[in-house]
Order: sequence, then C-alpha cells, then structure tokens
Amino acid sequence: MGDLLFSFTEWLRTTQLVELALWISDTSASMFIVTHFWAIPIIQCIHIISIAASFASILMINARMFNIAGSSSMADTANRYIRVLWWALAALILSGIGMIIGEPVRELINPFFWIKMGLVVFGILISIWFHRGVLKHVAGGREIVGTDKATAAFLVLLWMAIMYCGRFIAYAPV
Amino acid sequence: MSLYPEPTNIWESIEYSNLGITIAESTWMFPTIETLHVMALVTVLGMIMIVDLRLIGVHSRGLAVTKLSKDTLPWVWGAFAMAALTGGLLFVSKATSYVVNPYFLWKMVMLALAGINMMYFHFFTYRTVEHWDLDPSVPTAAKVAGGLSLVFWLAVLFFGRAIGFTLGIFY
Repeated sequence: MGDLLFSFTEWLRTTQLVELALWISDTSASMFIVTHFWAIPIIQCIHIISIAASFASILMINARMFNIAGSSSMADTANRYIRVLWWALAALILSGIGMIIGEPVRELINPFFWIKMGLVVFGILISIWFHRGVLKHVAGGREIVGTDKATAAFLVLLWMAIMYCGRFIAYAPV
Repeated sequence: MSLYPEPTNIWESIEYSNLGITIAESTWMFPTIETLHVMALVTVLGMIMIVDLRLIGVHSRGLAVTKLSKDTLPWVWGAFAMAALTGGLLFVSKATSYVVNPYFLWKMVMLALAGINMMYFHFFTYRTVEHWDLDPSVPTAAKVAGGLSLVFWLAVLFFGRAIGFTLGIFY
C-alpha cells in the first residue's frame, strides 16, 4: 500500500500541479498564511467545526431512519439537518481552499489529498441523490425502505473515510 | 536490554512503558489512533453544538429540549468515551512532551470547565426544564450554559489542534 502511495506521489510530481502549487505559494494570500503562525491551526479548526456539523447532521438523520432517535417526524428531522449539512459543506470547501492556499505543496502533491477529493465529490453526489431522491420522498410520507437506510449508513462510512484521508494528509509518504 | 533510559518520573515511566513504546515506535498506530480521536471528537462537538444552539435560540427552536437531549446524549457519551480512550493512548506515547505543553494543559482546563458547566446545568438549571421545554427562548441560565458550553468546547478543539503545532518545542 505504501509503495502504491509513493508511486502516486511520484506521478503527482510529474504533473502541472507542481507549477500550480508553486504559483499559489507565491501569492500574497499564501504568504499571509505562511507568515502568521496561527492562521493554519485556526483554518483547520473551522474545517473541523464544519465536519462536526455535517457529520452530526448525517448521524441524526441516520438515527431517525433507524428509529434510534425517534423524537420528531422524519420530515422534521430531514428539514432540520439537511440545511445544516449543506451549509457545513460550504464552510468545509471554503476552509479547505484556505488550507490549500496556505500549504499548496503539502496538499496538492499528496496522494491522500486526491483520494479525499475523490471521496468528497462522490459524497456530495450521493448526498444530493439522498436529499432529492430519498429524504424528500420519505419526508412526504413514503415508507422507509432498506435501500434508504443503506444509503444513510453508507454516507456515515463515507464521511469516516473522508476524515481518515484528511488526517492522513499529514502522514503521507511524500 | 531496553534502548530507553531509566525513567526518573511518572511521565517517563508512562512513556517508556510497553504500551507507550509500542505506539511511539509503530509507523501506523499514532496516526490511526489520532484519526479515531478526530472522528470521536467531531461527533462529540457536533452533537453538543446541536443542543447548545437550541439553548441559545439559534437552531431547532421548535423542538423540545428534553427530546433533543435524549436524541443526542447517547452519541455524546459514546463518542466521549472513545475520545478519552484514544486521547489516553496518544498521551501515553508522548507523555513527557504533553505534560510540558501549555496548550495541552489549557485543553485539560477547558475540558474540566466544560464538565463543570454541564454538571451545573444538569443538576440545577435542567431541574425546571418542564416549565420551558418547548419555549423557543429558554431562561437566561440555560442560554448562558449553552453559550459557555460552545465556548469551552471550541476552546478544547483549538487547544487540541494547537498541541499538534507545538509538541516538542517546550523542552
């Protein structure tokens, strides 16, 4: 596995991403972040708060679907948390961009970063489908079926995989 | 023969224990335990934010506080137990570095304050909850508890993250 990640990094080094990363690191925004010690930790905290909001929202929707937390109707639960999920995703993307600007080489020339990006795009597509194709119908009165529950549970696992890749960006064999 | 020096205090004894050495010498254990720690803490933080935002009147204003607590508390306690366990394992692997790190010590202080705030809320303010359970705007004491909880937990997060940027520079 380590060898595969090394090869991935080696390949990333042959792409235009190196030029892009170096160009970003010369921008004034990147310089500002680099010269302010607390900028990266603060942006990371915003990123983690956004993950907390989105992950908790998905867990609450799951808990309602699996009848672990049955305090309010499926429609109420979906309405309450799906909006939080989308706002949190927006904050995640913005703070993520901040981290790329601050440490472009560490992020862009990193196998875990790109695996994470792939999972994030996949996660957003599944979330859109889950929102429009599942939650709206279930909230409208359709009975919850096995595939609805499976999708909800899959989103939890997907978010855990995204968090795993996010943390491992710091430990990538580059 | 051990490659490590004889411990001269309790923190060195912890760090040079079999468990501490195993985690520190492994290439994958520390990052993996740390990842589990992050997953646990985002669950704790996310669930606590849901309740705190209800108390200060920003979110879920129409939902009973008791119902929201009942839905979120099992997640909070389960995830907190995992955060404490994984945090303990991370500590064991670098105990001497953590105990001299001011951000680690501040994190512990903030955790204690968050705990005291929660206990005060639970044992005093929450006792009258049946009178304001469904009120969109809860009594001031409950709002203060929600606000303080947010501040303390965000401080726990900040100091926790700060440790990662400062570990090993204080001695």
